[in-house]
Amino acid sequence: MTTFHSSSELLEQIEALSGQDISDCYQCGCCTSGCPIGEAMDPPPSKAIRLLQLGRANELLDSEGIWMCASCLVCGTRCPRAVDYARIAEACRALVLRSRESKVDPDTVTAPELEEIPQQAFIAAFRKSSV
Amino acid sequence: MTKYAYYPGCTLYTKARSLDICARKAAEKVGFELAEMPSWNCCGAIYNATSDDLAAQVGPVRNLAKASQIGDKLVTLCAACHNVLKRVQDRLDQPGNEVESERLKTFVDEKYERPVKVLHYLEVLKNEVGWDKVKAKATKPLAGLKVASYYGCLMVRPREALSFDDPENPQVMDDLMRVLGAEPTRFDFKAECCGGYLVVNRRDVAKAASQKILDNAKAWGAEAIVTTCPLCQYNLDKLRVMTDGALPVFYFTQLLGVAVGLGQDELGLGHNSGDPAGFLKSKGLL
Repeated sequence: MTTFHSSSELLEQIEALSGQDISDCYQCGCCTSGCPIGEAMDPPPSKAIRLLQLGRANELLDSEGIWMCASCLVCGTRCPRAVDYARIAEACRALVLRSRESKVDPDTVTAPELEEIPQQAFIAAFRKSSV
Repeated sequence: MTKYAYYPGCTLYTKARSLDICARKAAEKVGFELAEMPSWNCCGAIYNATSDDLAAQVGPVRNLAKASQIGDKLVTLCAACHNVLKRVQDRLDQPGNEVESERLKTFVDEKYERPVKVLHYLEVLKNEVGWDKVKAKATKPLAGLKVASYYGCLMVRPREALSFDDPENPQVMDDLMRVLGAEPTRFDFKAECCGGYLVVNRRDVAKAASQKILDNAKAWGAEAIVTTCPLCQYNLDKLRVMTDGALPVFYFTQLLGVAVGLGQDELGLGHNSGDPAGFLKSKGLL
């Protein structure tokens, strides 16, 4: 588990890195209902934002959900309050990665995968999820 | 013949050769030339959205600076390269962002001569060549082929920076398929995410997301799918269990190539799963 400073400090950092105002969200759930990965994302976008609103940023940073967002940007495109959750998830990932904790270890990629998967996937995955 | 500076990107040089080769050859048939820009580097594959991480923007800025020395337009083909280069260009041009923009330009040795308009190949066909001319070059129309156009995320979002097409119901590839004589089908998941790079560490999630897209295309009566992203093509085509009725997943350039009369050996059909050549023959297109 990554240990960070107080939740209010964390929230400030997340807002600065993402350029989003967490209080803009009124919890309509449009983001979560449209998220193509929503079923596998815990917490899904609207719940993740709710955690931040409730001062529970540490829980979000320790969650699996922030690593499941592939930045497809459907949530932000459809948000009636113009909140871009993909940028919030990006900010959360950045804070974890900057504490030198990788989520994806390049050494776990197998030879057949390396042979087959387009390299844009590796570059993207490592840039998003590795130190 | 109009000549455009062209940025292929790394994947098109290796695992997505058939996207690149067909595009170059089909362009010549249609009447424009893709001139690969010299000494390009990786675009970064994905846009970094944190506000302070300027280092992540340097790769694309260098490409844009190099391209600006050639001209004011840069043509892309890979959806990921297109997304990154277009968003970074948008960031450089954003009113109020002059200080950051100048800093980014000083990070690279290459002089940034002018803003570059990043154009996707599909935009060249639509806006620079024009559908009428493309249609006139389609000497072997894709008559009777029902195609689902799959755009994914990177071509259409974010709406403002890409200003490409409707992010919920994009049309440009459907229009191209229509111009080439095919019948674009309705398709609910044309801009849904295939799971993208999650395939690297969560193959199960990418597989489930891709299967939903394939099933929806089939439910609307599509006989084939077209895409412009090497990773979408991979996730849709390679993560599934191949069955007899499985839809072939083509690059749009492969079907463009068929329609403008490229030879079978120029279509790179060995890339696609199943029997794409047999499929095209069964439709009377090869």
